[in-house]
Amino acid sequence: MGLRVPARELFALAAESLAGHRLRTSLTLVATAIGVTAVVLLTALGDAARRYVTEQFASVGTNLVIVLPGKTETSGIMGSFGGTVRPLTLDDAEALPHRAPLVRGVVPLSLGSASFEYGNRSRDVYVLGTTWAYAPMRDLAVTSGQFLPRMDMRRGERVAVIGRKLQREVFQGENPLGKPVRIAGARFRVIGVLAPKGMGMGVDLDDMALIPVATGLRLFNQKGLFRMVCQAPDAASVPAVVKQVREVMMQRHDGDEDFSILTQDSMLQTFTSIINALTAGLAGIAAISLAVAGILIMNVMLVSVSERTGEVGLLKALGARRAQILSMFLAESLLLSAQGALLGVVTGVVIVYAAAGVFPELPLAPSPGWIAFVTALALAAGVSFGLLPARRAAGLAAAEALRASR
Amino acid sequence: MPADATAGAGDGARPAAPGGADAAATGAATGVEVIRLEHVTRVFKVGDSEVRALDGVSLSVRAGEYLSLMGPSGSGKSTLLNVLGCLDTPTSGRYVLDGEPVEKLTEDQLADVRQRKIGFIFQAYHLVARMSAARNVELPMIFAGVAPAERRARAREALVAVGLGHRLDHRPDQLSGGERQRVAIARATAMRPRILLADEPTGNLDTRSGDEILALLERLNAEGLTLVVVTHDPRVGGRAQRRLRMRDGRMAEDG
Repeated sequence: MGLRVPARELFALAAESLAGHRLRTSLTLVATAIGVTAVVLLTALGDAARRYVTEQFASVGTNLVIVLPGKTETSGIMGSFGGTVRPLTLDDAEALPHRAPLVRGVVPLSLGSASFEYGNRSRDVYVLGTTWAYAPMRDLAVTSGQFLPRMDMRRGERVAVIGRKLQREVFQGENPLGKPVRIAGARFRVIGVLAPKGMGMGVDLDDMALIPVATGLRLFNQKGLFRMVCQAPDAASVPAVVKQVREVMMQRHDGDEDFSILTQDSMLQTFTSIINALTAGLAGIAAISLAVAGILIMNVMLVSVSERTGEVGLLKALGARRAQILSMFLAESLLLSAQGALLGVVTGVVIVYAAAGVFPELPLAPSPGWIAFVTALALAAGVSFGLLPARRAAGLAAAEALRASR
Repeated sequence: MPADATAGAGDGARPAAPGGADAAATGAATGVEVIRLEHVTRVFKVGDSEVRALDGVSLSVRAGEYLSLMGPSGSGKSTLLNVLGCLDTPTSGRYVLDGEPVEKLTEDQLADVRQRKIGFIFQAYHLVARMSAARNVELPMIFAGVAPAERRARAREALVAVGLGHRLDHRPDQLSGGERQRVAIARATAMRPRILLADEPTGNLDTRSGDEILALLERLNAEGLTLVVVTHDPRVGGRAQRRLRMRDGRMAEDG
């Protein structure tokens, strides 16, 4: 009983049949391959986005604990109109290192956007208020001049350190050091140019002006800081630092937790979960095209079965059993989907590597997990969509099948 | 009845026994009963009405006989052929094939019976167009699980036996009608069956190729195979030693 025919023989018969219908076979192959390629590409893109974000966080600096004004959970109505949110102040920034002994350093940040003018050229830029300590924390260097001087964070000097791009756009080759500029209408002196750093946490440091934080608050007439960045001594002590910072800040804010504390881990987790959802969504879209390919396989197999009714009748007359005919047609659809999957994976991987060559800044690489998944999915589609036609073939009554083509 | 002339002479085993060939050459059927139909009916439902394609057919065929089955369209001869070939099962009645009652066999068992005991030859040849002549002949052996090397040797042997040793790798569309039917005969005999069922084997052929095919079939019969030929053509049917004629699902003439 059983099949009596080795799988190898069934696949040989299936391959002969597929080779006998070159156009139909190749169209189905291409359809399957497109579905698989889409999954490979989109998941590679999703993974690249995840890796990109992770790298960005690493470039921002390590072991940072960030304090923001307002409670994340109650932001919006409470935060904006409740009036219970106290601003983060320079006093807070000064107090933190003394009262929270684990904290290595605190950098207060203010942020505004303004026009940056030199001569008759002007450019709208973000203006970041900070202190000298921002440079070691973010690993910033200057190509000429100096960074913000080491001084009391309350001193509001009118000096600016500018990004490489801002320098190129506004000074156009002229040496900017010591040049008088206007930021939001106020006079400043350029004291340094940053080495290129690129994007970090959504802002392009290359296209910014950095000024002392006290100057920034006054310039934009702000009561509170944009955020405070605290450095933990190492990754393991981040939770302890968060605890200390929270305690100190709540004391200073009369027991209210009207601020939020972010760690890079928590931010990374948020981003990662967003990107995971995005990747899954992309994969879902790609899976739809795979499903279309599956239906196409079913269609091709159904056509094949009805076209080969006579052949099925003949095979039955020659003594082929139901299970043998079922397996032969299943082998055909499996072969079809396997070849399509292979073609799709190869195409996808080639495109991913080609794209990685064209866009070196994106960490593009094929994702082995997703490739394994989509291959399994394609094979499963081949079998499940091939099952109905194969059963139809196997169920044909021999005498009628023969008569149909007589 | 020629069937009685040498009754009991064969042993019912391999059909190509020399004794069987001698006996057949003298125009006599040999040996044991290979086919026995008792009051076989086959009723088809067409809408609300029933069509009795076979209406109480009884028949006994001995090993090595050469029968022709004639009759007008719709007389039931194709249905009878399907029943004889185990492609169809009787609605009622008994069918004993080679000593084995087949009316109670499962689908798989019927497939095995077809595989081992029956060779089919069709008017339209039913060759698989994408396969070479040799591969077509291999087909029944593939499903029987015959090992590839043996299968190839036997396919070649069968094709040589029908005079197509030089056409092994030709596809059906590269062969003439007569050659195609020879491939089909090689395929039908590859599993060394006991019975050959030929349904209008010369229907698509000119007279000369048709005569060659009949001569080939008759040679196989002379070697001991039981041969049943269904035909419209009295010239073809007249060559058989035993001529059956059907009308309205009944056996009208036997002899």
